[in-house]
Amino acid sequence: MSKPEVVAIGTDAGSTTCKLVAVGQGGEVLGSRLEATQPHIELQVGELLGQLRSELGVDGPVPCVATGYGRKLVKDATRSVTEITCHARGVFRDLGHGGTLVDIGGQDSKVIRLGNNGKPVDFMMNDKCAAGTGRFLEYTSARLGVPIDELGRRALSTDREEPITSTCTVFAESEIISLLARGVALEAILRGLHRALVGRIVAMVHNVGLTPPLMLSGGVAHNEAVRALIEEATGERVLLPREPQLMGAYGAALLGTEGKSAA
Amino acid sequence: MPIADRLTARKAIIERVRGLGRKVVAVLPFHYPRALLRAYRLHPIEVWGPPNVPRDKGSQHFQAYTCDIVLKATSFLLRGGMDPVDAILVPHTCDALQGMASVTADFLKPRQPVLTLYLPRGCRDSDRAFLIAELRRLAGCCAEISGHKPNEADWAEAFAAEEAADRALASLYQRRPRLALSDRDFYTAVRSREFLTAEDFGELAASLPEGDPPADGVGLMLSGIVAEPLELFDRINEMGAHVVADDLACGYRRVYPPAAESDPFARIAAQLLACPPDPTRGSPIEQRVAALRSRMRESGAQGLLIYDVKFCEPELFDIPLLRKHLAAAGLPVLHVEFEMGMTVSRQVLTRIEAFVETLQ
Ligand code: SF4
Repeated sequence: MSKPEVVAIGTDAGSTTCKLVAVGQGGEVLGSRLEATQPHIELQVGELLGQLRSELGVDGPVPCVATGYGRKLVKDATRSVTEITCHARGVFRDLGHGGTLVDIGGQDSKVIRLGNNGKPVDFMMNDKCAAGTGRFLEYTSARLGVPIDELGRRALSTDREEPITSTCTVFAESEIISLLARGVALEAILRGLHRALVGRIVAMVHNVGLTPPLMLSGGVAHNEAVRALIEEATGERVLLPREPQLMGAYGAALLGTEGKSAA
Repeated sequence: MPIADRLTARKAIIERVRGLGRKVVAVLPFHYPRALLRAYRLHPIEVWGPPNVPRDKGSQHFQAYTCDIVLKATSFLLRGGMDPVDAILVPHTCDALQGMASVTADFLKPRQPVLTLYLPRGCRDSDRAFLIAELRRLAGCCAEISGHKPNEADWAEAFAAEEAADRALASLYQRRPRLALSDRDFYTAVRSREFLTAEDFGELAASLPEGDPPADGVGLMLSGIVAEPLELFDRINEMGAHVVADDLACGYRRVYPPAAESDPFARIAAQLLACPPDPTRGSPIEQRVAALRSRMRESGAQGLLIYDVKFCEPELFDIPLLRKHLAAAGLPVLHVEFEMGMTVSRQVLTRIEAFVETLQ
């Protein structure tokens, strides 16, 4: 049987991770790459593209749509599109409906209201302050010595919660230190930290206007405490696409299949 | 040739108008009586920042939540940027500028006199009467600076020149769809009214070439105080969009209609009060929404980009209601705040680009 033909590739060069997705004619995912972002994004994406192309047997040119904060640095891109449009397109394709999409990335977070055709109708971004982004959790993880993929589970392992009053990541860190010094349980602090992050996200959701269903993409979607606390704060069930972290690259690849008029 | 290269530098203009027997006034944004200044033999050079001046010296005198226009203008003053002028006029556009006027006059005490102009926040008869009285008071200060009291011929000459320049500005906007100018060049030309003489501005406006406008793609209307830096227009064009209309304090909000009153002060007051609605004049939100809607419709703008100087209170107060009313009318709106500098931040550009994508 011959290999399915790659029709387009999407790259999402984010601040924390670099993602690539290759899709076929029907928009099906044929291959992907995900790794931590390196300082030379341009070289990294070029290398990952080469790997993906040889793995999938792509010889000729295919449209390559770049998104993410490093999108303008991707030399091989035939076009660049913002993360807002790409995440919207990827999630819409995967989940099949409009609603409110929350994307929490490493350096920014966004709330996007999706129309029934999958196009963003309105959006709000937080990219000026680490609180409310994945960076907040990275800081916490490093400070408390808890691996990042255990943060959510540990936060949900207790009913006790220590409120974190600082709205700033840097000040929250000193608050954590003094709470630990007072002997407060680590899990209760973690739960409070997740609550603080979710509080910022939910405020953005209400600003944009919550149109159900609520969907979550980006690396932080894997954190079960973030999901649970968003559900608790909004009263809405949170839906996840199959590969939350790849949605930007996937949406970019889908736009590549649609040609220039699709964006 | 880019329009910017055709403009006489401010320094040369100052020398030239001095040669014509006029003194020079640095004017802060943004409504003020040009004809009055001219009748009193004064020439305005406006100060909108400037963007390339660091905030440092200004920041020492104001709260952290003061806008860049005030911080940078104060820095500019303290760095000697206003040394060549004979007076500084600070209209009461907002609390920040009113604060700047007091701090400058009472504490910084520059060599030049600091003039103020209190603008009313409405258009009632009482507002008109108040403005006329304010203009008379300002006229007294102008007479002290220039040593000149205008006669009837001076007033007639001043009105003829400044109203011709006002008409030239209005006609630039009318001809916008037919002008073969990039957005950057168009706004460079519009904003040259901030320092050129009325005659030079009229000449420049009349010389702008008509033909196929270079822009196509998504049409945007731009709202706010000032669109800085001009690089913003290039970036918007690169995104596949262009600016088809504006509601900018440095642009369309100063398209003053002519007035016919015989008393010069009443005539200026009528003009200032009849310009397009804007939040600094306390225009009711319904008036603003109606004006924005009709201008967006006429110009074919597909979305409104509200581009606000960070901490600009009068603009920010209106945002929630503007968004609500325009959304109800099905008009897409993006609100971004920017810090004034020589480049536009990546975050701001990403938001604008995403907005353009939603409109494509
Ligand atoms: S930007 Fe806004 S707050 Fe600042 S001087 Fe202008 S009107 Fe006032």
